[in-house]
Amino acid sequence: MTFIDATPIRHDLARVFHWRRMKVMLITCFLLHLPILATWQASYAVLVGRVLFIGCVVLLAFGLFERSPIHLPAWISRWALQVFAVAVAVPISTAIAYAITTIGDPAHWWQNQNRMFGFSIMTALGLLVSPWIAVAALLRQIKDEAHKLALTFELARSEYDRNALDARLRLLQAQVAPHFLFNTLANVRELVSTGSPRAAPVLESLIAYLRAAVPRLNQPSSTMGQELELVQAYLDVMQMRMPDRLQFSVEADDDARTLVCPPMTLLTLVENAMRHGIDPTEEGGRIDVRVTIINGRGHAEVRDTGMGLARGSEGLGTGLANLRERLQLAFDGDAHVTLSEISPHGVRAEIDFPARKDAP
Amino acid sequence: MTEVVTARRPTAMIADDEPLLRESLTRLLAQTWPELEVVAQARNGRAAVESFEAQHPDICFLDVHMPGLSGIEAARFIGRRAHVVFVTAYDQYAVQAFDQGALDYLVKPVELSRLMDTVARLKERLRATPEIPDTAALLDQLAARVFKNAAPTSLRWLRVSVGQALRLVSADEIDFLRSEDKYTLVAWHDPAGQPAEGLVRTPLKELINQLDAEQFVQVHRSVVVNLRAIKQVLRGHNETANIHLKYRADVLPVSRTFLHHFRMM
Repeated sequence: MTFIDATPIRHDLARVFHWRRMKVMLITCFLLHLPILATWQASYAVLVGRVLFIGCVVLLAFGLFERSPIHLPAWISRWALQVFAVAVAVPISTAIAYAITTIGDPAHWWQNQNRMFGFSIMTALGLLVSPWIAVAALLRQIKDEAHKLALTFELARSEYDRNALDARLRLLQAQVAPHFLFNTLANVRELVSTGSPRAAPVLESLIAYLRAAVPRLNQPSSTMGQELELVQAYLDVMQMRMPDRLQFSVEADDDARTLVCPPMTLLTLVENAMRHGIDPTEEGGRIDVRVTIINGRGHAEVRDTGMGLARGSEGLGTGLANLRERLQLAFDGDAHVTLSEISPHGVRAEIDFPARKDAP
Repeated sequence: MTEVVTARRPTAMIADDEPLLRESLTRLLAQTWPELEVVAQARNGRAAVESFEAQHPDICFLDVHMPGLSGIEAARFIGRRAHVVFVTAYDQYAVQAFDQGALDYLVKPVELSRLMDTVARLKERLRATPEIPDTAALLDQLAARVFKNAAPTSLRWLRVSVGQALRLVSADEIDFLRSEDKYTLVAWHDPAGQPAEGLVRTPLKELINQLDAEQFVQVHRSVVVNLRAIKQVLRGHNETANIHLKYRADVLPVSRTFLHHFRMM
């Protein structure tokens, strides 16, 4: 997981001189100025001024190397750079502090023994303490970051669960197709009323379709074998309804039948082919379903010789988007759905997915 | 045989793309209205309109969802020349629209008692009112509800006269249109790719405005071509070009004014 930080510089400064850091710096300065105070001979204000100046510069050094340079060579780690910067900042800032506070004096500050002594004490104390504080600050930061990361993971997980639930709910709603059901029942009733011998096999297919479709909505996964039975039952029913307009074939490799997939995977594609390919055309056409294993990956293909993508694609989006989402969730993004136009007219829908066998 | 009062038996047509459902309705009508003669059965909207033009039945039972031309579109062509009864499977939008309007409808699977009500109403109408109400506005509303996603703002079907017969030609099947005085010649191909020609009463100038501008392009003062029917465009000397079509041997010249449609992208 990557965090992209686009905070402007203004916010960086606010971060460098954040109150939490300032507090640590001020307390440290206060504690460190106490031992110096014991031997201090100049004015108290000068001491406080120098110590605070040093504290600020050290804090600035720590903050500066927190972000820049943005790209570090691989052999330097940022925490080491920061601690090093803090250590280097101590003598430099002390020297500057002395230089500024002694402007106007005829002699340089390092020529005065007292000042040189003060400089040494401050540098020594600073070097002794400030790198450790930097390390402590870094440790605390790492802990915060880990906590934030854990929260983000938690959020992503709950989002994932919710998406899976949403996808199943939408599938449930999409599957309730009264238009299909009542039209089919009207056909079955006619067969029964006229005492046709076809009545029983068609009812068997309808029952197989309903049994396969209804209870499995709540199951997280299905096998290609089950999917193929469902598709066969659906196509049998549709062929009874439009015998002059639909031909079909359903084929699969034996070992492809055990592959795991989300429920309704194949049926979604076949229903699409029916609804948007065959049904809108006066002459009808063919639907060919085939599931194979190619180079160790599952491959499902539904071809129709219907309308093609250009005209018959009204409302094509939802069923397919829904299927893509379900595949995404089931295979962690390792499945692909592609639609392509075939010549002279029709659509080929393909799914490429990992070949996972049903767990025993 | 009982003596029939009217000189002529009432006639009906049944249009549904599912053959068993056509048979079902025919059988149920034979039970509830034995005098009614089912003179035609149609397997889609286009066949329904063509059968209607040939037979002129008194009553048309039209399935709402049919391939190509829908039942609602077929009803538009039939207009006020017959009593129309729509047949639909459960479809809440359609049923809502029917319930508001004066349109007659049956829900599949058709119930015998419901069909008897419809039959009684139809008998009444055939006897009492020679005038059939104008339902054009209702049909527009119905179409808008049932085919929410489709936007048939442009002309999708043409009524083409071929000799004495009337044919319905889908806009997609048209190859080109050519102006012939007050008429327009329509050249099209059937699903098998066989070319055919016929005439439309509307002048080309009016037709152009009704056709989908993305699909139909004027290439000459008197010729409009369907871009989908073009096989290739060959450029000639001196700013001219010829269009070769997929389904017929005709070569259409492109005049200089319209050559910009075929400039290199």
